[in-house]
Amino acid sequence: MADKLSAKRQRPGANLVLGGTLTSLFLGIAVLSLFWTPYGVADINIANKLNPPTVGHWLGTDQFGRDVLSLLMVGARNSVLVALVAVGLGVGLGVPLGLLAAAWPGLVSETLMRVNDFTFAFPVLLTAVMITAAIGPGVVNAVIAIGIFNIPVFARLARGGALGLWQRDFVRAARLAGKGRTRISVEHILPNLTSMLIVQATIQFALAIVAEAGLSYLGLGTQPPNPSWGKMLNEAQTFLFLAPQLAVYPGLAIAMAVLGLNLLGDGLRDRLDPRLLRLP
Amino acid sequence: MAPFLLQRSAGLLATLLVASAVIFLVLEVLPGDPALVMLGINADSDTLQALRAEMGLDRPLLERYADWLIDLVQGHLGTSVTYDVPVSDLIGERIAVSLPLALLAILLSTAIAIPVGVVAAAHHGRLLDTTVMGVAQLGVAVPNFWLAILLILVFSVGLRWLPAGGFAGWDAGVGPAMLSLLLPAISLALPQAAILARVTRSSVLEVLREDYVRSARAKGLSQGQALWHHALRNALIPVVTILGLQFSFLLAGTIIIENVFYLPGLGRLLFQAIAQRDLIVVKALVLILAAAVVVVNFLVDLSYALLDPRLRPGVRHG
Amino acid sequence: MSLLCVDDLYVDLPGGVGPVRVLDGVSFDLPAGGALGLVGESGCGKSMTALAVMGLLPEGAKANGRIRLNGHDLLGLPDATLCTIRGRRMAMVFQEPMTALNPVQTIGRQVAEAPRRHLGLSRAAAEERARHLLDRVGLPTMRFPPDLYPHQLSGGQRQRVGIAIALSCDPVLLIADEPTTALDVTIQAQILDLITELSLETGMALLLISHDLGVIAQTTDRMAVMYAGRIAETGPTAAVFGHMAHPYTRALFAAMPQAAETGARLSAIPGQVPAPGRTVPGCHFADRCRHAGQRCRDAPPPALTAVDPDHVVACHFPQARDTVP
Repeated sequence: MADKLSAKRQRPGANLVLGGTLTSLFLGIAVLSLFWTPYGVADINIANKLNPPTVGHWLGTDQFGRDVLSLLMVGARNSVLVALVAVGLGVGLGVPLGLLAAAWPGLVSETLMRVNDFTFAFPVLLTAVMITAAIGPGVVNAVIAIGIFNIPVFARLARGGALGLWQRDFVRAARLAGKGRTRISVEHILPNLTSMLIVQATIQFALAIVAEAGLSYLGLGTQPPNPSWGKMLNEAQTFLFLAPQLAVYPGLAIAMAVLGLNLLGDGLRDRLDPRLLRLP
Repeated sequence: MAPFLLQRSAGLLATLLVASAVIFLVLEVLPGDPALVMLGINADSDTLQALRAEMGLDRPLLERYADWLIDLVQGHLGTSVTYDVPVSDLIGERIAVSLPLALLAILLSTAIAIPVGVVAAAHHGRLLDTTVMGVAQLGVAVPNFWLAILLILVFSVGLRWLPAGGFAGWDAGVGPAMLSLLLPAISLALPQAAILARVTRSSVLEVLREDYVRSARAKGLSQGQALWHHALRNALIPVVTILGLQFSFLLAGTIIIENVFYLPGLGRLLFQAIAQRDLIVVKALVLILAAAVVVVNFLVDLSYALLDPRLRPGVRHG
Repeated sequence: MSLLCVDDLYVDLPGGVGPVRVLDGVSFDLPAGGALGLVGESGCGKSMTALAVMGLLPEGAKANGRIRLNGHDLLGLPDATLCTIRGRRMAMVFQEPMTALNPVQTIGRQVAEAPRRHLGLSRAAAEERARHLLDRVGLPTMRFPPDLYPHQLSGGQRQRVGIAIALSCDPVLLIADEPTTALDVTIQAQILDLITELSLETGMALLLISHDLGVIAQTTDRMAVMYAGRIAETGPTAAVFGHMAHPYTRALFAAMPQAAETGARLSAIPGQVPAPGRTVPGCHFADRCRHAGQRCRDAPPPALTAVDPDHVVACHFPQARDTVP
């Protein structure tokens, strides 16, 4: 008991700081790439291909002589965009669905959640592969696939949290005051779910980055000539003997971004949980 | 036990039915004209008509779906357009790679994660625990396909100990075949093991606080004995849940890992079928993979009863 | 010489700002075959005393003083040595029968575990012993086969299993920590009778912990009233009931529902037990005591002094015999 308390006091701080730093770095680089990269990502210079790191090219060049640092920076932007839209899709559709199911318990919501439960049969990559097979590869389809995967995650979370809140006195009081179920869901339930949803969104963001990288690695996500971390890894595999460093940077970028988001999620959870318990 | 099994099996069938309907909708209805998708816009109209007729695209949707289901039950998965062989033959051939790979990966992951999680819990709050969990946090963040490439870099390119890819084939003997599955299995297993170790640790820590562990200590068991004889089996219940969930990630993982290592398994077949727009193969493969996930989760459900007598159907005594 | 001799026991638990003292110089003796009751409100240190004797204090706890079993000091013994004593020489019955048994093991196996470990019995012999023990605690094999799981039993039946486990190696000391608190009133008496009967039959000593003076009166021959980690009053049970010298003992008695039934007014004790670790200069009970004077708040906590032969009390103003309500 006592050591649990002391552990709680030290760790969330460390998680939050490290996770926050890594995540800000990742987001910062993505934003920076909008305005400035050391070189253009389309600047091909075959004479300078597969160079090791130099003063001019801090991380060297790829098989077309493009600057790897610039590619990584634009790749970060690509990851953020895909993950943002995909998680946004999951939150935007999943949360209302979950709130709806909690506000009107009954056969419809029961069916809704059953369908929701069954979606676990389709891991994100399988969903993506299926959608790609039906409508072709591409970054938009990847976003849709990852987004679809996220909908049930948020629907389940929102429903679970909302069901508990509907039993609370302040919600009952609002009911007695004559407020409608929709209005209560928006005014009373949703605000109290926010911190929980933020924590989950952070973790889903990390998952979305890995999923996008995986799809792009397979050639089913971001298409050339747009740079993406997954595609960079795929290309690097061809040159493992000549330029092994090319296979290290993009993976390290993915791992650091995911680590940062996971730590941030853990840290936020530790920080926000007590507040969740102290609902009005 | 019988009604319990019956009820669960009915649920399993219902889930499979819904899954098949979704797959049918996405792969046969969503593309508009699947025959056109498969042959490309440059296909000549005779070939197109022939394929449409073969796929039965001229018939009503519901009838096509029902036919597909009936064929499935009879084991007919259709004929691949690109390979011109029955899809079931293709799958039979490729599953001999994917299944051993998945089993090896889950075995490795469990064999690593559970002892690590338990040891970390036993050293709760001490240096060993902190270190192990730090490594696990890092492990969770490493995508399996990058780990795969790093392993190739070290063990194939650098040390030249293991093949960088390809499959020796079971004809070459179990040894070489397993050797070509080793790096792929490790790449799949380690990130999973990181998650599993974290779950095991927190589950064991929770169970160690239970009254019956104190009871065991009061009987004269040491902390270690109480952990192994009394806490572990109780702690494994949530671990098994995660293990079941991980199986689906693992299957999805094989799609990508088989491509990293050029292994002729189901995942690579799926990838190739998409590249060649062989929707018949894609449909069958997606269904099989989804069914595998559903069945494994069904088995996990049943295994709870094995681990936890409270979940076994039966009446209260006395 | 006493079987169990607790002498000047201090226990500190790790806390947020520093160690928290939960036992503050507890001493008592329990002769072989005797029955000692520890009574007090929750948080007074009764359970902590039991856990200290068993050597099962929470992680990080520090114990000082002496706990002698048959003259051997248990404090400071390595855990491996304690493991040969726990379950063999001293055993414990816990408060919560619902959670004290392992849900995934059969009751037979849980009863047989200690005999196999401590008595070196074969599996078959241990199982036979378990059947016999279960039978002895009122769970005959015919109706309660040893392959039942705890969830298939009621609370009272589970507590019987707990008693069978404790008795399984014929210990010389049985510690029962609120063994009936979690049970229905009708079952409480049965379990209490069983414990008394078994301790008389086997000659083992009983350390019974309870917040219920009725239970203590019914079961024990000596009693100690605890308050805020200290012994407030101790003596032969009959003597203490005959002359409650500490105001706290009287307050406890007055708060008993049974006392109310017999005509006395049911009075809750005003105020609360001071939070452990809070340093109070004087008597810890002074804030809640009707008889407290300036001395109680300023002077160091009172030491145990005899009011009758063999009956001691820690109070500056012990109550006279004739004022029993």
